[in-house]
Amino acid sequence: MPSQPPLPPLLAPYLSTQPESSLTLVSSILGATSNWLILRFLHAALSNSSNNAFIGLEDSPDSKKKKVVLVSFLRGWEFWKAEAKRLGLDLTRLAGKQQFAYVDGLSELFTTPKPAGNTLPTLSAGSPAPARTTLPLRYQPGTLPGRSPAQANNPIGQGNASGPINSEPGVAKKLNFAGQGLTALDALERDISTVIAKLKTAEDDEVLLIIDQPDFLLASTGPSYAIGATEMMDWATGLQQAAHATVLTLAADSPLLHNAPVASNQMSTPVESEHAVFAIGLAHRAQSVMQLRTLETGAARDVSGVLRISRGGGWSTGAEENLEEKELLFYIQRDGGVRVFGRGES
Amino acid sequence: MAPINLSHRRTHNLLLISKLLNLRDTASPFTLLLDSLEQPATPLLKEYIRRAKLSKVHVTLISFETLRKPDGVDAFISARRKSPADIMSEVASAHQPAKITGPPQRRLILIDAINPLLSSKKQDPTFQLASFLGSFITPRDPSAPKADASLVVAYHSDTPGPIQTQQTVYKPAHLSILTYLATSIITLHSFSHILAQKAARDRSLAPPVFGLEEEQDGVILGRLDRLSGTGAAEGIVLELEHRRKSGRGVLEWYILPPASRYSAACVKEVVSLLDDNVLYNPPVELDAGAGDEEPTSTFELGLTERQRRDREGVVLPYFDAQYGDGPGEGGRILYDMGEEDDFDEEEDEI
Repeated sequence: MPSQPPLPPLLAPYLSTQPESSLTLVSSILGATSNWLILRFLHAALSNSSNNAFIGLEDSPDSKKKKVVLVSFLRGWEFWKAEAKRLGLDLTRLAGKQQFAYVDGLSELFTTPKPAGNTLPTLSAGSPAPARTTLPLRYQPGTLPGRSPAQANNPIGQGNASGPINSEPGVAKKLNFAGQGLTALDALERDISTVIAKLKTAEDDEVLLIIDQPDFLLASTGPSYAIGATEMMDWATGLQQAAHATVLTLAADSPLLHNAPVASNQMSTPVESEHAVFAIGLAHRAQSVMQLRTLETGAARDVSGVLRISRGGGWSTGAEENLEEKELLFYIQRDGGVRVFGRGES
Repeated sequence: MAPINLSHRRTHNLLLISKLLNLRDTASPFTLLLDSLEQPATPLLKEYIRRAKLSKVHVTLISFETLRKPDGVDAFISARRKSPADIMSEVASAHQPAKITGPPQRRLILIDAINPLLSSKKQDPTFQLASFLGSFITPRDPSAPKADASLVVAYHSDTPGPIQTQQTVYKPAHLSILTYLATSIITLHSFSHILAQKAARDRSLAPPVFGLEEEQDGVILGRLDRLSGTGAAEGIVLELEHRRKSGRGVLEWYILPPASRYSAACVKEVVSLLDDNVLYNPPVELDAGAGDEEPTSTFELGLTERQRRDREGVVLPYFDAQYGDGPGEGGRILYDMGEEDDFDEEEDEI
């Protein structure tokens, strides 16, 4: 099968331009994950500037630099690094050049912080490198890389500029959830916006913030931590204010959306109802919504799933209303390349 | 029958919606907009703002969801992480009535979504939705110059409500309170969906559902520009329930065309009745009588005017029999000779 361009031409207009202070919601289900789409967002934002750097245009003053902050709650740094490499993006190098920052919301989110100086031997047992031969699907439970405390000793936000390849270059910050309710969320928000501010060296830098699956944070805390969908949405809004544009992914599997009663007094679990409120509320705020799902008719050999792009419920200016709503099919090849085509085309 | 009814509705109900949207005479102090992902309320809120600007009404937007101040809004109040009391005082201070004398200046207060306020975790148990909303319409300080305030609140009807706890299980649901308080309720629908549902109903099929109601894995939003079979149907359908002061309710369906179809300074009413829409109610073909057109033939099968008159003049025997000229008289054949008839001797006597 021929290798595909890293940016599918049909998707390019949706991926490369995000209007200012807009929110793009990417929803995925278990059978159709959003990793490939996030990687395309990364590529669309970062590849131009890396080309510029290659031909020596890096410091041209009038070109707006696009920068990306990726906050991931469900997948580790190793995964993103390896998958981006397949698209030709060297995230470590880009992080060194202050164009990209990775915020790790996975490995230490719920570990108690260790005292400084307590260095552990740097071994990453139990965190195998992501399989490169398979499709970028989510990891099997239990093999989440980065859960091991071995990688915990990166000095926060330092050492990136100096360049040497230490244990985990490129990870700008590891999030740690401590405390309760709004104070804990505020701390996370502060951490992320510090990273954004640090990356934003010039005034007209456009920082694209990608938050990968913050619904995990909601599901793992929940009402017992006094965190609900409203608090999470406020948290996302706060981050939106710090960045130029925001892309947010979350799960939209039916049990998470449809078990919560809208009107009746039928019982539902906190996860079901909070997740539904969170997902629907964000779709109401978003300027565009990209929904990934599998084919309704079952599995097919040459189609991995369906991507539906629609306008969200948020306020938009006239220009944004020109977003064309579309439904496309996509196919993820063995080599990680993605082909995107309309129904009936091939 | 029906056309008279329609023209009556057209005059009265179009006047009503234009009064409501133009905020004239405070026809509706509290309007509730029930929207969903399939048809968000933003186009209607924009229309409210546009009309308010035309008539120089002060616009306040209390934002629970919006990040940036939209065009045309005079006071933008971000309600993120604020307590209801803070919001109330900010709204009160956002607008100072200019003159104590003079006619009271009108004011429009918009809330882009009330759901976050209602499902917030840190909600004060003493929080009263009714008094919160009421405070916007009637200022707490009675000596303050009275401003004619209209409140327009959007509620996402597809968002699940908060989980009922021990404390809230006996309280009415927020939506019930809102619909009880509202003087007008506008439910928004997408026009293309209404058309698709009507097309299905016309064929006695189950109407299709869209978006979340499909309950399909991975589908949050069903809205697409072009649904198959509906063509380029744009616009939003407003289902209005207005409660008059007398208590009588008015139910009507309207359609608001997309903002690109008219200029921002357009003063003429753009909303029309849904029943008047060409796509929803295609005009009945004028030559509907084409079915009983005469078959083509070499014979003249019609009647001339005179023939018709004569035929109507014929008294049929059973009418004659009812005059009761005595038994046996009924049933005779009545015949008036016309001038073109020639008398036939051999015929039975008449």
